[in-house]
Amino acid sequence: MGPKAKIMVVEDNLDEAKLIKMVLEGEGYEAVCAFNGKDALEKVQSDRPDLIVLDVMMPEMDGFAFCSELRSSPENEHLPVVLLTAVAKHIQDSKYPLNGVLRADAQEYLEKPIRAEELLETISRLLS
Amino acid sequence: MTQAQPGKPNCWDFMACGYGPDSTSPCVVVSDQDSEGTNGGTNGGRLCWSVGGTLSGERELAEGARTGNCLVCPFFHLVKSQEGPAFQLFKLARGVRDSEQLQQTIASVESLMAIHEGLRSDFDLGQTIRDITEEARRLTGAQRSVVLLLRGTSPALHGEMPLRGQTKSVVISLDEESAVGFAAVHNQIVNLHHIYGRQSPDGVPAFNPSYDRQCSCRTHSFLAVPINDPEDRAIGVITAANARKGFFSSDDEWFMEKYATEVALAVEKQKFVQQSVAVLRLGAIGETIAGLSHCIKNIAQALRAGSHVIKRALKTNNLQDVRAAWEIVDRHIEQLADLSMDVLAYDPVVQEPSKKTGLNPLVEHVVGLFREEARARAITLAFSPGADVETARFDHLGVYRCMVNLITNALDACPLSEGAVTVATQRTGEHEFMLSVADNGPGMDEQTKAAVFDLFHTSRPRRGAGLGLPTVADIVNRHNGRVEIDSRPGAGATLRIFIQENVAVV
Repeated sequence: MGPKAKIMVVEDNLDEAKLIKMVLEGEGYEAVCAFNGKDALEKVQSDRPDLIVLDVMMPEMDGFAFCSELRSSPENEHLPVVLLTAVAKHIQDSKYPLNGVLRADAQEYLEKPIRAEELLETISRLLS
Repeated sequence: MTQAQPGKPNCWDFMACGYGPDSTSPCVVVSDQDSEGTNGGTNGGRLCWSVGGTLSGERELAEGARTGNCLVCPFFHLVKSQEGPAFQLFKLARGVRDSEQLQQTIASVESLMAIHEGLRSDFDLGQTIRDITEEARRLTGAQRSVVLLLRGTSPALHGEMPLRGQTKSVVISLDEESAVGFAAVHNQIVNLHHIYGRQSPDGVPAFNPSYDRQCSCRTHSFLAVPINDPEDRAIGVITAANARKGFFSSDDEWFMEKYATEVALAVEKQKFVQQSVAVLRLGAIGETIAGLSHCIKNIAQALRAGSHVIKRALKTNNLQDVRAAWEIVDRHIEQLADLSMDVLAYDPVVQEPSKKTGLNPLVEHVVGLFREEARARAITLAFSPGADVETARFDHLGVYRCMVNLITNALDACPLSEGAVTVATQRTGEHEFMLSVADNGPGMDEQTKAAVFDLFHTSRPRRGAGLGLPTVADIVNRHNGRVEIDSRPGAGATLRIFIQENVAVV
C-alpha cells in the first residue's frame, strides 16, 4: 500500500485530531477523524481504513475497549492500530499501563508528545 | 446463678477464654456472687473489669482471662453500649452507691473514658495532654500535675504546667537518683510523701528540688508514674504533686497508670497521624506530578504536530495550513500559560493577605475581562450585583481567581447559540456572602458533579487542565466557605461559593 492509504485518527481532542490529520495529509495519506470509540467503530465499517491511529484515554469508550470491540470482528483482526498515550511509560499501575500494546492488541504504542516523523515512520512501516 | 440473657453475653462467652461456669475455673469473676445480675450478667460476667476492686483487676483474674487495659476492651464497650444510662461501672457494696465520694469517682472515670473516646477522633496532641493532665490533677486531688515526655536527643523530660494563668515549661533531667528520673529509667511508680520531713529510705529515690524551683512551689507529696510506648520503653512520666489528703493512695497510682496509658496512646496516635499525613502528601505530590505531566504532554503534542505542519506548509507556501495550524498552536500556548497560573494558584502556601476591597467592583472587573470573549461567542454575560455586600471583607486575590475560573468554565459550557452566563453577588449572613455563576450549558449529571473538584478532572480537554475548580475549592476552604453546584443534565449549571468574611481584616 502506498501513500494513498486511508488512515483513521481516533482522538477526542479536536485540535490534536485536526493536527494529526494535517500531518498525515501532508504526506499524501487520506485521513478521516473520529472523536470517540463508538463513533470510530461505526466509521470503520463505513470508511474501511487501512490503519488506525488511536488515542487511549477517551470518554465513553476508551482505546482499549475500542480495540477489543474492533478485534471481535474477524475482518478487522489484522487491521494495524497505533496507540497514542500521554501516560508516562514508567507508571505501571495506571489504568492505562505500559503493557497497553498487549492489552489492546495493537501493533505500536507511542508516548505523547510524539514526533510527527516518528508517527509517519511507524505508519509507513506498518503499511509496507 | 442466673443464665445469660439473650444477646447479653458474659465475659467468658465473649472472650471464649474457657474459664466459664462449666470449667473448673479459678477465675474470680465466675464465682463473684456479689456482682450477680449487674449489667444483666451472671455473677461478675458483665462487670469483669471491676471484680477484685479495680477497674482492670488483672492481678486477681485467671491468666488468659484478661490482658491489657479494659478501656480498650471490646467487651467493656459492648456492655457499656448495651446498658446505656443503666450501665454500672463499678462493683459496689450495697448502700454506698449514692455516696458523694463514689459519685465523684464515677464522674472521674467517665472523664477518663471521654478522653479515651476523644483519642479516636481528630485531635491535637498538646491539647489532649493538657486535658489528661487536668483530669489527673482533679482526680487525684493534687495541687498540680505535669506530663513530662522525653524529647530530642537530650536525656531530659520536657513538660508544661499551668502557673498563675500562664503555661510554664518544665525540664527535668533524666537522673535516676531523682523521683521522676527513677520512674522513667526503672519503669516503676514512685510515690513519695513527707518529702521535706524525713530522709528517703535506702533504695527510694529522692525528690528533685529543681522541680519545686521550676514550679515555684513546695512539694510535700509526689507521685511519678512512667509512660511507656507499646514496646514498653519509657517515653515519659506523668506526675502529681501535693495530694489534698496528704498522700497519694494506691487507687491514685492505679488511675495515674491509666492516664499514663492514655498519654502513650495519644503519642502513638500523633505518630500515626504524622506518618499518614506524610504518606498522603507524597501521594498528592505524585498525583499532581502525574496529572501535570499528562496535561503538559498533551500540550506538547499539539505544539510538536503544529510545528511540523507549519514548517512543511511554509516550504510549499501553503498559508492556509499555516494559519490553521498556528491557531491551534496559539491556543495551546495560552493553555500552557493558564496551566502555570493554575499551578501557582493551587499552591496552598501562596496566600495573599486580605484587603478591604469592594466586592462588586472586583467582580464587575472580572466580568469585564470576559465581555469581549462573550461577545465574540454570542454569549450574553450579565452581572447582578448584590446591594448589601459593599462592606464585605475578603481575600481579594482569592476571590479574583475563583471568579476567573468560574466564568471561564461557564463560558466554555455555553451552547454555540444563545449562550447566557449570569454572575451575581449576595449577602447570605452577617459574616457570609455568596458569589454565583450560572450558565445555560448542557448541565452535569451526579457523577460529573462528584468529580469536578478532583485534580485534573476536565470536561474540556481542548482547553482545561482540570486545575480550575480544585483551585476554587482550595481558596474557598481557606475562607471556611463552601461550594454548591446546582445542575441537572440539559438544565445548565449554577455554581455558588459561600465565603466567610475575614472579620479580622480592617
